[in-house]
Amino acid sequence: MAAKRSRQKKKKSANDQREFVAEAEDILERMFEDLSELQEQRHTRDEVDPDLVNRIFRSAHSLKGLAGMFGLDAIGDLSHHLEDILDGLRLGRISFDSPAFGLLDEGVALLATMMTGLERGDTSAGGDDEAARVFIAQIAAAMQAPEAQTQDELDELEIDSTLLRALTEYEEHRLRENLRRGRHISLVDSTFEFANFEEGLSELSAAVREVGEVISTLPSPGDAPESQIRFSLLVASEIDSDRLRDRLDDPNTNVEAIRRGSHPKRPNAPTEPAGSLDGPQADGADRSGDESADESRAARVEAPETGSLRSISDTVRVDIRKLDELMNLVGELVIQQNAVEGLASLLSSYELTSRVGAELTKANRGLDRKLKELQASVLDVRMVPLRQIFEKLSRVARRLRRDLGKEVELEFKGADTELDKLIVEQLVDPLVHVVRNAFDHAIEGPEERQNVGKPASGRIRISAFQRGNHVVIEVEDDGRGMNREAIRNKALESGLISENDTLSPGEILNLVFEPGLSTSDEVSATSGRGVGMDVVRSNLAEMGGMVDLSTREGRGTTVTITLPVTLAIIQALIVRIGEERFAIPLGSVLETMAIEPDQIGRSEGREILNLRGERLMLRRLCEEFEIEGAGREERQFVVVLGMGEQKLGLLVDRLEGQQDTVIKPIKGPFQDIRGIAGATELGDRTAILVIDVSTIIGDAVRRREAA
Amino acid sequence: MQRILIVEDSATMRSLLASSLEDLEIPVKIVEAASGFEALRCLPRDEFDLIVTDINMPDINGLELVSFIRNTEKYAGIPLVIVSTESSERDRDKGLGLGADAYLVKPIDPETLRQVVADLLAGRPEER
Repeated sequence: MAAKRSRQKKKKSANDQREFVAEAEDILERMFEDLSELQEQRHTRDEVDPDLVNRIFRSAHSLKGLAGMFGLDAIGDLSHHLEDILDGLRLGRISFDSPAFGLLDEGVALLATMMTGLERGDTSAGGDDEAARVFIAQIAAAMQAPEAQTQDELDELEIDSTLLRALTEYEEHRLRENLRRGRHISLVDSTFEFANFEEGLSELSAAVREVGEVISTLPSPGDAPESQIRFSLLVASEIDSDRLRDRLDDPNTNVEAIRRGSHPKRPNAPTEPAGSLDGPQADGADRSGDESADESRAARVEAPETGSLRSISDTVRVDIRKLDELMNLVGELVIQQNAVEGLASLLSSYELTSRVGAELTKANRGLDRKLKELQASVLDVRMVPLRQIFEKLSRVARRLRRDLGKEVELEFKGADTELDKLIVEQLVDPLVHVVRNAFDHAIEGPEERQNVGKPASGRIRISAFQRGNHVVIEVEDDGRGMNREAIRNKALESGLISENDTLSPGEILNLVFEPGLSTSDEVSATSGRGVGMDVVRSNLAEMGGMVDLSTREGRGTTVTITLPVTLAIIQALIVRIGEERFAIPLGSVLETMAIEPDQIGRSEGREILNLRGERLMLRRLCEEFEIEGAGREERQFVVVLGMGEQKLGLLVDRLEGQQDTVIKPIKGPFQDIRGIAGATELGDRTAILVIDVSTIIGDAVRRREAA
Repeated sequence: MQRILIVEDSATMRSLLASSLEDLEIPVKIVEAASGFEALRCLPRDEFDLIVTDINMPDINGLELVSFIRNTEKYAGIPLVIVSTESSERDRDKGLGLGADAYLVKPIDPETLRQVVADLLAGRPEER
């Protein structure tokens, strides 16, 4: 029995540990967000939102509890000390100007680093533990001895002792703080039907929060204990109990004065402590009851979102695989719907059934619209803002700053740009790599920078924005830039190019993406970059993305990453070559046009097209995949593909239309064909191959460079 | 079958508490609530033999929950265990003062928790 139990436990604990890391990371993510919000509030408001401080405190607190449960002492200790700081802040024992407050950001970053170590299975993580110990000593030094709590004024309040006894230390502090500020204290009592008390209570709390703070919420049995529940809200507000009662205007809600406030407040004062961040502030406080009661009712409908009660329970964490399944299902539906469309047009083409066909077409159009909405909603669920990655990058930067002793500032733009969750996950490594490169190799040391007249501290600007169906991320540094001569020499040395090759400046630059070259330390030391850029490129290509470089020697380098917004559902252009059909993701298609054979020119032995004065490389799809019987038609079509800065014209026999498609991975003999991203099914149930645009363009660019 | 309600907002902590209690020598049915409100909802659905609750939770705190339970005739007799990271005497006094039967400080040793719970289920008063 004992043996069985311990075995069970072992299995459980491996599972639990994963659960722990997942939950701990969520907590840390939230702490980062809340801390930056807190910093902002400190600069923009007279008094920070107590709920916010309390939330961060609770995060540290939960983390400490979790870590303790798993015997992760270093993480537990550090969380405990951060919790102490936060506890001091929320109880007013530590001021926001104290040095201890300044340590919070760094402490949370250190926790995140430790968590990453844990996730990698880095059980020793000795360095991090040591760092934690040193840091804890810093905290201890920064924390002054907490002042003793002064005499108890709470006993003088006329509150039912049941309520006072159930206050946590924090709630007691909030009550004291509000008394100190001379606010009115009221007790708001309301009885709800048990069946829907959450709704009623959160409406009530939200209405109260418009004019004050809910200090505590005590449930007690209603008059009909089987079906009712009563809640007593201890409320601090700028308006007195009578005004509060008028404002709430609800016969089932009783408002009782506990203590009248001492000094009336200015209206619209920015110091209003209303609990919600962006809800209407205590604007109506000085107006007549009737008017503001209407207002409050209108606001109540929207307010629950901003109240702290609902915000947590309204979120569901979902395994991304479930979303994938859902997406697949939507994809199948799209295919089925395409099949119906085919049937409808078939029916329409026969005289006997043309009316049914027309009706079916109409019904199908309705189905199509709803399906598109469904698709868009499922896609929307998958979308996450890049903010998450940006926060990771600031952590990486913080660490690098410490390790490398360089002062580098990171600037972020476009944190709200959204990308498919899966892409965001896969994007982390390449992006961290690029930023690390910039930090490590591109940005010069402070002395060197000052010698060339740059500010001592370097700057890396990371900006993201959406361009059509793609998201572009630019990483721009103001470092030393890349030396093309050094790259070229290195490429010669490693046999990547020969003396006779004449390469354009851009082509030389692109050599850093070649595997042979990029792993060399020497180039990275002289040219400033190139470590593992081949890996960056291949990682991005896997997600259908591309990377480009531009550099000015002495001035800096910009790495531009272009990614599709989602991998899940794409609009595709169906093209025909000979007897074969292919799908090309429409997001990468810039334009299509019909051309006559004599429009095709030649340059350096390759086919080109003069596209409004620009030389467009051409590539015949039939050559790419060795298809016979192609190109018989007199007139051909060019599909102009674009990704990042590169363009390529693809010659095909015919354009057959557009379709929504779901790309599915291919298994079996076709699995490893270069230039094929997967397969998709058409409405008539035939399977066709989907072209991998980034590989095709990439190959063409390389071929041109090699020539 | 003994019915135990676990009230705790951290999913990991909740499942740890649950798995500790599943290893009791007696058959138990465990119901988990992720917040104070959820606990209020669970209470009328089952006849619980024991409740384990955290203090710091987002909606109503554990002390408020304890107060509610002790003031509701129907539930007043259910043994209550508070598990919390607050280790100060003050908080312990508050919890026990409101009528909790035991106050355990996190991290919880599963064996201790099982012992406390087993004693309370068997009707033996606790001195913790």
